[in-house]
Amino acid sequence: MTNFAMWSRLKSPWVIHFNSGACNGCDIEIVALLTPKYDVERFGIKLEPSPRHADVLLVTGSVTHQCAERLKRIYDQMPQPKFVVAIGACACSGGVFQGNYNVLGGVDKVLPVNAYIPGCPPRPEAIIDGVVKLLNALKAPPAPKTVKEPEIVVEKMEEVKPDAKQ
Amino acid sequence: MPNSNIDIVKILESKLSGKSVQILPGQLGTATIKVAPGDHRDVFRALVEADEYTAISAISGLDLGANLGVYYHVRTSNAFLTIEVEVPKNNPKIQTVNDIAPSAAFHELEVSDLFGLIVEGNPRSGHFVLPETWPEGIFPLRKDVNASEVKQNPPLPEEKSDEGKLVKIIIGPQHPALLEPEKFAVLVEGEIVKAVQPRIGYVHRGVEKASESRTYIQDVYLVERICGICNSCHATGFVEAVERILKTEVPPRGKYLRTIILEVNRIHSHLLTLGHAGLEIGYETLFQYFWRDREPIMDLQEMLTGNRVISSSLTVGGVRRDLKETDVPKIRSVLADLRKRLPFYTEIYQNEPSIRARMQNVGTLKREDALKLGVVGPVARASGVDIDIRKDDPYEAYAEIPFNEITKTAGDTWARMNVRMDEVEESIKIIEYALDHMPTGAYRIKVPRVVPAGEAISRVEAPRGELFYYVKSNGTTMPERVKVRTPTFANIPAFLTTAIGETIADIPPNFVSLDPCFSCTDR
Repeated sequence: MTNFAMWSRLKSPWVIHFNSGACNGCDIEIVALLTPKYDVERFGIKLEPSPRHADVLLVTGSVTHQCAERLKRIYDQMPQPKFVVAIGACACSGGVFQGNYNVLGGVDKVLPVNAYIPGCPPRPEAIIDGVVKLLNALKAPPAPKTVKEPEIVVEKMEEVKPDAKQ
Repeated sequence: MPNSNIDIVKILESKLSGKSVQILPGQLGTATIKVAPGDHRDVFRALVEADEYTAISAISGLDLGANLGVYYHVRTSNAFLTIEVEVPKNNPKIQTVNDIAPSAAFHELEVSDLFGLIVEGNPRSGHFVLPETWPEGIFPLRKDVNASEVKQNPPLPEEKSDEGKLVKIIIGPQHPALLEPEKFAVLVEGEIVKAVQPRIGYVHRGVEKASESRTYIQDVYLVERICGICNSCHATGFVEAVERILKTEVPPRGKYLRTIILEVNRIHSHLLTLGHAGLEIGYETLFQYFWRDREPIMDLQEMLTGNRVISSSLTVGGVRRDLKETDVPKIRSVLADLRKRLPFYTEIYQNEPSIRARMQNVGTLKREDALKLGVVGPVARASGVDIDIRKDDPYEAYAEIPFNEITKTAGDTWARMNVRMDEVEESIKIIEYALDHMPTGAYRIKVPRVVPAGEAISRVEAPRGELFYYVKSNGTTMPERVKVRTPTFANIPAFLTTAIGETIADIPPNFVSLDPCFSCTDR
């Protein structure tokens, strides 16, 4: 079951997009990903409107004070395992808005971030590359086995064997 | 241009004779009018009586030391006036003008939130732009406040309000139909919308305050990042105002190049919205088509400016890179390809039954309401209000370039989308004319880094409407105050009015037809 879950996660990651105080530049590039020129649906990446169905949270923007609570709540609503991708210079570090009175400056001030994609805004190719890198990173270490394999007691079986011959 | 024979300054001089009013022609637009608090209401009354196009473009708050300056920037049919009022900082009370000019409502609340102005007759309940966690009594745009060190309160739990038999539907801040976080609480009775309560400020990044601690050159990059879609328009608004303080004239080639960049920006923004409207009404094929045809325009923008989205091409004194002669045929071929596609899209927006069913007679904004609420851009033009800054107050090379101002009379969602559809064609014409008549010579001039003390305004017709900038310099390398009023801020009242009485299903097409941009609105 774990292998199946991992396979489906890698082959069809559902992403949710949240703008936490961005200038729209990164956001239109995320939407551009879905359109014919870039078309990320060919990789199985689907933009999902509800956090409850999403695997990956794409966050843009420098995280304003008013959005921070909401960002946390969206993250909490996502099922495990979940991944956060910070898209754009603002989401990575606060960007040009760093130090302003109403921004926290970066998604990692609020959530654990799995991948950073810098750029102002990053090109759609860069966003695809970032998400694919994240997926490959998931693949690299084999998923930890949570279920213990049943032990085979060899001696007992041998004891049974003579009976089978009879 | 509407009724261009009204001489508003003369009318004001005759109507306000005997009052303590000082009219200074030629400053901050057509004229600056200095009045004592209280008398500003008489000025507004006189203006509204004289000219139906009177609307408040913006209200700038200013920290003048002991006093708070309240500058009302008012546009009339052919003039742009600034009405200056000063109130003492320790008792910052002013009477509202909301009852005379209803377009003031939002602007007054904003100055109240950011400067602590107490507006009598338009009181603020809770914060307007600032977050709920912001402590009361601290106003970030005042000079004595170190805003980035303000300690915010812990977040409060959301209040449950009792709406009686009305049902409250909350749209946002995270919602599939919104690309940006903003909250609209819609009160419905059955299917019918009874009221819409907006909560803006989710994208408020404090750009106006931040611009005061950066140099003019750094500010160009900062204001571009107010909005990723109409970034060139923001840059134009800012550099135009700075150039007016510096009294510099940009070389003609620089002006033409700016015009081309602005129009490429407009085409990309309009295609984006026309496609997005398709998505909102469940017509996803149209969305994919429009966005496919938008990609060559993005490539064009990259070729012209070096960047796909945020162009960072304009600078004080001109543009940062010249147009290569070898690029001109490429630009022409991209525009020719787009022009070939336009009849197909126009046909869809004019005659497609599903478009007509979802958009016709939805969100109808009557002409008198459009004038009263002071809406701008395609929203105003779709209601028969012929305002276009490119025609009314030409900047860059627009005075020399012939083009048509698109207006419609229906005022519904359908008319608004069709105004944008027709404007794409006009933008192509403007770019082609600019390429044909491109002047030779320098494309930028060197300007001093220290800007002399002074103040200036500038207005730009962004894809969403009139974009307003006010810049005040104190003779250093950093501005004293930068005020930005963005088109969506002026257009939101139109949605709040037209949504009432319609069904919930009409909200998405109505809303997207304003082409809302909240990163602009909140700044």
